[in-house]
Amino acid sequence: MSTFRAAALFTLAIALALPGCKIVKTPTAEEAAEEASGGFNPARQVAGLWDEKVIPFLDKRAGTFQEVSSLAKSDLDAAAAKYGHKEKEGSAPWTFVAKVSGTIIKAETKSRAAYLETDVDGDGKGDVRIQIGPVIKGTALRDSLDFVNFNEFKNQIQWAEFGKAFNTHVIGLTLDKLPREGMEGKAIEATGAYPLPSAGQPALFTPATITIGG
Amino acid sequence: MKLTRRLTLAAFAGALSMSVAMPAFAADLIAIITPSHDNPFFKAEAVGAEAKAKELGYETLVLVHDDDANKQSQLIDTAIGRGAKAIILDNAGSEASIAAVQKAKDAGVPSFLIDREINATGVAVSQIVSNNYQGAQLGAEEFVKLMGEAGSYVELLGREADLNAGIRSKGYHDIIDEYPEMKMVAQQSANWSQTEGYSKMETILQANPDIKGVISGNDTMAMGAIAALQAAGRKDVIVVGFDGSNDVRDSITSGGIKATVLQPAYAQAQMAVEQADVYIKTGKGPAEEKQLMDCVLINGENAAKLETFALTN
Repeated sequence: MSTFRAAALFTLAIALALPGCKIVKTPTAEEAAEEASGGFNPARQVAGLWDEKVIPFLDKRAGTFQEVSSLAKSDLDAAAAKYGHKEKEGSAPWTFVAKVSGTIIKAETKSRAAYLETDVDGDGKGDVRIQIGPVIKGTALRDSLDFVNFNEFKNQIQWAEFGKAFNTHVIGLTLDKLPREGMEGKAIEATGAYPLPSAGQPALFTPATITIGG
Repeated sequence: MKLTRRLTLAAFAGALSMSVAMPAFAADLIAIITPSHDNPFFKAEAVGAEAKAKELGYETLVLVHDDDANKQSQLIDTAIGRGAKAIILDNAGSEASIAAVQKAKDAGVPSFLIDREINATGVAVSQIVSNNYQGAQLGAEEFVKLMGEAGSYVELLGREADLNAGIRSKGYHDIIDEYPEMKMVAQQSANWSQTEGYSKMETILQANPDIKGVISGNDTMAMGAIAALQAAGRKDVIVVGFDGSNDVRDSITSGGIKATVLQPAYAQAQMAVEQADVYIKTGKGPAEEKQLMDCVLINGENAAKLETFALTN
């Protein structure tokens, strides 16, 4: 091929390519991960579900923490049918949806897995620990929902990322903005979920909505 | 269509069994295929599955694929050729095993996966796996607590082709990385192996003498690491494993390894055989193919109750 023809072809190629030219922005880490996993973006999925499905589901399903926890003790099957959810197979414990309304008696904020020890029955003793992050243990929010299912995900990794995305979402939405000082004695209202605690362990509650009053 | 294929296969299996002069009324066969029994975890699976199969009146064929996908493929052929009614499989790689399980399905032999999942549904009848993410989070929470939420640490990873290596590492980091004062100074694969765990730990320790902790993707690597640390006189380093083996239990009770996470290996294998039995007799599979079994944290408080991958009460 002569130099001239090669140059001509090259020019032609540019001329052809130019109209299709567009500015491509450098993908963010999240976009790159989405690309690598074939279009899976748990953060966006959770953000899309949150107002439309998650909050209405929790609001409708929740009982007061007193109702839920006492029914779970006296009749686990009844509590599960009314307030609980778990995958059909496997050995995960029931996760219950509840509304906590009480008084903060102790704020454990030294650890990054911070929580508010909350009294719901006015006896001055803690009944439930409300997680406020930035480290949230477990995947209670995901596990409480009856419209998401592990079998619809490619594998455990994506299911795990989806679960963590709920925690990350609620941290960004409200928990990050909570004060970390002077919490004791304040009133607290929260709707969220907690897995059935093992015997003798306190309930560890992950809030989806939370209001701390005076 | 399906029936025709089954009948053809039954005829084929019948012809085959006659040609190798099987006894006329031999019990149905269940093949149990796992990685090497050198790791007590896989041995417990095989023993659990075999015990349950015999209890339910089956013959068993126990095989090991040594984490070699080619060997696994040959073993699946063997199981099909021997006329197995079901295969209990702890597979040799989440991508590479899809074809092998499909091959068994095409030959009319249903597979019941344990421990490791594959990246496909509708090929196996069941996939009963430990909730590795939940377990890894338990291990990481305990590790962070033992470390006082700060300090340099090392992570030993499992074999890369195994999805469980990735999911455990993810579970660890989703917790540990939330603590800015926790610093990972080395992260290396020791391929689930005790000897590699020992040699990798030796090398890492020389380059990073100031480490405070080691978090390991399984118990055998943790056993290798603690041995290397003890040989170097470093009894102060916190080691956390994953599996819940008797070796690590003994190390915990004698003040070596600090914690591990129990995977219910024995129960999982037995559950797979029960589901296989129902499927063989009724053609019915479980309500959901992929089934997660929760893990349990093991530390000084409950280690004494651990025996062969199960907690006694």
